[in-house]
Amino acid sequence: MTDTFSKPKGRSESPEEREFELRAQIGSIWSGGRLFIGMYTFLVASLVFSYFYLRSSNNGGLWRLPHQHAPIAYGWSIYLLMVATALLANYGQRRLRKGDDTDFQVAGWTGVLCGLVALFLQIWQLTKLSFYPGSSGYASTFVGFAVMNLVNIVIGTYWLETTLARSLRLRRELGGEKPELSKAPHPASAQLFRAGVASMAYFWSFLAIGGALLTAMFYVM
Amino acid sequence: MTTIWVILSVVADLVFWFAVGPHMPPGRLTETAINNQKTFNVLLVLALPVLIGVWVYLGYAATVWSAKHKDAPESVGGEAARTNRKAQVWWIVITSVVVLFLAGYGSYAVVVEHGSGGGEGPNPVWTPQGAVKAELAAQSGTAQWAPGEDKPLVVQVIGQQWKFTYRYPAFGGFESAQLILPAHATIVFNVTSLDVIHSFWAYQLSVKADANPQVNDVAYTETKQTGNFTVRCSELCGIWHGSMFNYGKVVSQSDFEQWATSTESANAANTKNLPPFAWTYVPDANGTAGGLYPDGTVTPYSPSEVYGSKTPAS
Amino acid sequence: MTISAERPTQVVASSVAPPAKRGRKWTQRPGWLSQHLGMAIVGAILGYIVGHWFGNYVSSSYPYIANSGSNAIANTLGLSVGVLGWLLGIGALNYPLAKLIGREGREDAPVEGWSKYFRYTLDHKVVGMQYVVGVLLFLFTGGILAMAIRTELLNPTTHVFSADTYIKIVSEHGTIMMMMATSIVVGPLGNYLVPLMIGARRMAFPRIEAFSFWIFVAGYMVIFSALPYGGFPTGWTGYAPLQTQAGAGMVSYLLGFAVIGLGMMAAGFNIAVTIINYRAPGMSWSRLPIFVWSILATAALLTLATPVLFAGGLFGLLDKTVQTAFYVNEHGGSSYLWQNLFWFFGHPEVYIMALPGFGIVGEIMPVFTRKPLFAYKVAAAGMIGVALLSFFVWQHHLFQSGINPDMRPLFMLTTELISIPTGFIFLVGMGSLYKAKIRFEVPMLFCMALFFNFLIGGVTGVFLSDVPVNVTVHGGFFVLSHFHYTIMGGLLFAFMAGLYFWLPKMTGRMMNSRIGKWHFWTMFVFFNLTFFPMFVIGLLGQPRRVFTYATNLQGLNDFSSVSAFLLGASFLLFFANLMWSMFISPVKAPANPWDSLGLEWQTANPVPLYNFERIPVVMTDPYRYSEPGAPAFADLGEGASSSASTAGSSQA
Repeated sequence: MTDTFSKPKGRSESPEEREFELRAQIGSIWSGGRLFIGMYTFLVASLVFSYFYLRSSNNGGLWRLPHQHAPIAYGWSIYLLMVATALLANYGQRRLRKGDDTDFQVAGWTGVLCGLVALFLQIWQLTKLSFYPGSSGYASTFVGFAVMNLVNIVIGTYWLETTLARSLRLRRELGGEKPELSKAPHPASAQLFRAGVASMAYFWSFLAIGGALLTAMFYVM
Repeated sequence: MTTIWVILSVVADLVFWFAVGPHMPPGRLTETAINNQKTFNVLLVLALPVLIGVWVYLGYAATVWSAKHKDAPESVGGEAARTNRKAQVWWIVITSVVVLFLAGYGSYAVVVEHGSGGGEGPNPVWTPQGAVKAELAAQSGTAQWAPGEDKPLVVQVIGQQWKFTYRYPAFGGFESAQLILPAHATIVFNVTSLDVIHSFWAYQLSVKADANPQVNDVAYTETKQTGNFTVRCSELCGIWHGSMFNYGKVVSQSDFEQWATSTESANAANTKNLPPFAWTYVPDANGTAGGLYPDGTVTPYSPSEVYGSKTPAS
Repeated sequence: MTISAERPTQVVASSVAPPAKRGRKWTQRPGWLSQHLGMAIVGAILGYIVGHWFGNYVSSSYPYIANSGSNAIANTLGLSVGVLGWLLGIGALNYPLAKLIGREGREDAPVEGWSKYFRYTLDHKVVGMQYVVGVLLFLFTGGILAMAIRTELLNPTTHVFSADTYIKIVSEHGTIMMMMATSIVVGPLGNYLVPLMIGARRMAFPRIEAFSFWIFVAGYMVIFSALPYGGFPTGWTGYAPLQTQAGAGMVSYLLGFAVIGLGMMAAGFNIAVTIINYRAPGMSWSRLPIFVWSILATAALLTLATPVLFAGGLFGLLDKTVQTAFYVNEHGGSSYLWQNLFWFFGHPEVYIMALPGFGIVGEIMPVFTRKPLFAYKVAAAGMIGVALLSFFVWQHHLFQSGINPDMRPLFMLTTELISIPTGFIFLVGMGSLYKAKIRFEVPMLFCMALFFNFLIGGVTGVFLSDVPVNVTVHGGFFVLSHFHYTIMGGLLFAFMAGLYFWLPKMTGRMMNSRIGKWHFWTMFVFFNLTFFPMFVIGLLGQPRRVFTYATNLQGLNDFSSVSAFLLGASFLLFFANLMWSMFISPVKAPANPWDSLGLEWQTANPVPLYNFERIPVVMTDPYRYSEPGAPAFADLGEGASSSASTAGSSQA
């Protein structure tokens, strides 16, 4: 993002200063992406902790009623769609680095589609529950998980979509037959864009891996 | 400066230990009270020199090292003012030693026979002699207690908004609004609640255990003399939390037995209507409050878990 | 997760141009319709109405919360959509929404004049000033509630409030003060000063920073909405069965924590990333001002601990709205779960409220002692140590609760271990005073007071961490006094030190030092007279949050109450000083009134939008006071260097 006011008016920055700002911005995207995942880990860990805490304390023998199952087909579909999105995001990021912008676009938009379908399924799944939210510890944590997963998908898909939208705009702005999105060191906006794409793909990998644990907890165990 | 500090610390410590210490709360009514008072005093004797040290240092700095002071030395910068390896190492070593000593001492006080008087959860690890047996007897309804037998007395404390009541399983499980205890006996408190979290705080007994619904929180003490004590709730439990207190007595063993047997027979008619003695009490979901959901569906409880169940529920 | 992207240079060139003074196009909104505080309020009200209506619509068959005539789903949706409307109105959502179609948000430079303080502004200095006003608003609201509490406790049997009102006041006081205290230093001083101190021209994510402020204000209003809803009876800890039982105000508490939690995460995230990436060339980790170290440690705690509170609040809201049973024992949940989640956040939170105070005194003391900070590395290590250890101590709040009793010795050990890194801070403070030539200006007085107060708070903390002593003091006035000594006696005194010290930089006006000294002495004396008796009251057996107490404690309680009123009056003195020095009779501040070497004092006054003409290059470590011939701290470019070399002589 440009903060036009953060530059001295009426004078140009020295090349060193520009280089410094650029490196700081790339660094911010990198460390921000990691810190965001750290933050998110604590959020998901709270849910995991709640799950195992209630499971082990089994208050009133009501951790889970007999034959109480969340809609498993929905659950797996949602998870597989999330994995697909993560794979597509990572694949797209790789292709972009290799210089194939079109592959990135195709993979990315397919990923957005997967994300939207997963989002829809996640909402729809809540109408298919065969139990009341308060009927057991498992039922409660499942509802908590569904809400949290909803947020996961929304954030991930939003990030992916905005990245793609920005790449389209950048392409228009940079112009040219072969837009310098992929590998050229300059302009700076392309470098920053690539850092953003990498952070986004990294976050999706995190969602897919964390999702494996959550899926195992709620649909397998 | 050092001299002032040493003199003040020694004087303060001695005055505290001999003049104030023996009167510090929670008093000397029980074994746990005596232990906890001693721990408090030890901690304060260690803390006073620290407090006095820093205060003397701050006062000295404020007067002597002030820019207004006429002989104030010129401040010096440089390496010497930035670090002093010796001071740093000593500081770290001394604080670490004190801290480790305190942690060790505190842990010791937790595992001694009657513990610290704090709530130790449903399955305490460190128990006084005979306590487990007394608990099992209470659970199976075969508890007995007589003066001079040197058996622990099991008392159940039930918190609810906004009062405490007490059940005595060794005397037919009657329920009393008054907590009377025999002197020179090990007491096993089983603290539970019917609604929200309360905390059973028998101040002079130095017993404090949270009363959680569906949890049997056990605490131990041993009474050492006769006397009166106060019971207060020390966990916010709603609007009348401040009014949730009553008073209790430690009486001689024979007086206690007399009180207990007479109350047992006087309350016999009421005791019949109470739920059978259990560690925890679960309100009945199908009861007067009606169903749990708008359509009247209720959560199917397993039959062993309804009101008055004998199984510890945690 | 805002993604930074610099516009290509040719685009920058066109957007840098100042807005041309052509006539307004028909698509442009008139000024009163643009996005500012007024629109935010309109948005919040509309959002609340829409959300509340929708909530009632989707849950018409849903039972009302007992005795409140209101429905938890409607309340939750009303307040959430209200917050959304607030954010829309202030303009916080422009950028995230514009990004969906690949556009950058509008990049207007902040408008000139005072009206920029009522807008969503990307300048960290404006956000810092907004935070000053925001936290003072919080502080005074909480303070008035505190006065009400002390009024009620004047007499054990004659009551000013009903028991019901009293417990609402206590709960609201606790919650507001705790939420205020998490941001009181990180918000105003952290946002304003950190970029200046590290030689940066901007924050890494200015939008997230502005978001953190505006959602902080929204959270304040959500928590406050508990009162019209009938309040909540749980205190700031919100323990579970009582939480489940409570009325409609509980929704405000849970949602308020979640909303403010978002702000805390955002603020911590932005500041941590900024410190990591935007340090000026030459500012290695060992040259970082100690205040920045403390803010970094705090930011890490904010970012990593707050999600747990957020999750806890979310589960509580689910219990309230869709009737899950996370905290309901009878349905397979556990009231212990809330206690664990809450305190897993709650203990790092305690250090979120302590570390910035340490940072402020570490930063200010060298200026007034004219000596380097003693044992700089130990200070930084102490802060990191406290931050790390704080994740491993939460169960010391639960010693008597029956949760994991076998773990008590372990948590006693970890808790007492924290006093080692905390002790480092005292070593640093004491060492810095050693053989110095101390100037007792108002900020320095507050720093000295912090050591006095925090010592009492810290030592009593060791008593609390000891399980046997904890039996007597847990849940009583002893605890209450302990944490007021650490948070108010520590953090608030440090905040005052920071305000007196840095307001001349932030506003260009000096605080009146005569009234300042009166303020300090009344605050220091009456603070101690208010809270020291409470240790005795607690030891004599008075539990917290009570509305009646033993009649023999009336003398001590009255003493404490009267002192509390005088303490309140000393805050009025501060307020008067603020009004007097800032608005009524402002005195222009010199460029560097305290002769500090800090980089923040080397910028022009008022600080230009871009902070530094040239990105400074840091040459040496900070705090080289009284060292004639020491190299300048930083090279500001174009031959200008910071005033280090002259600092040795300037104090004569």
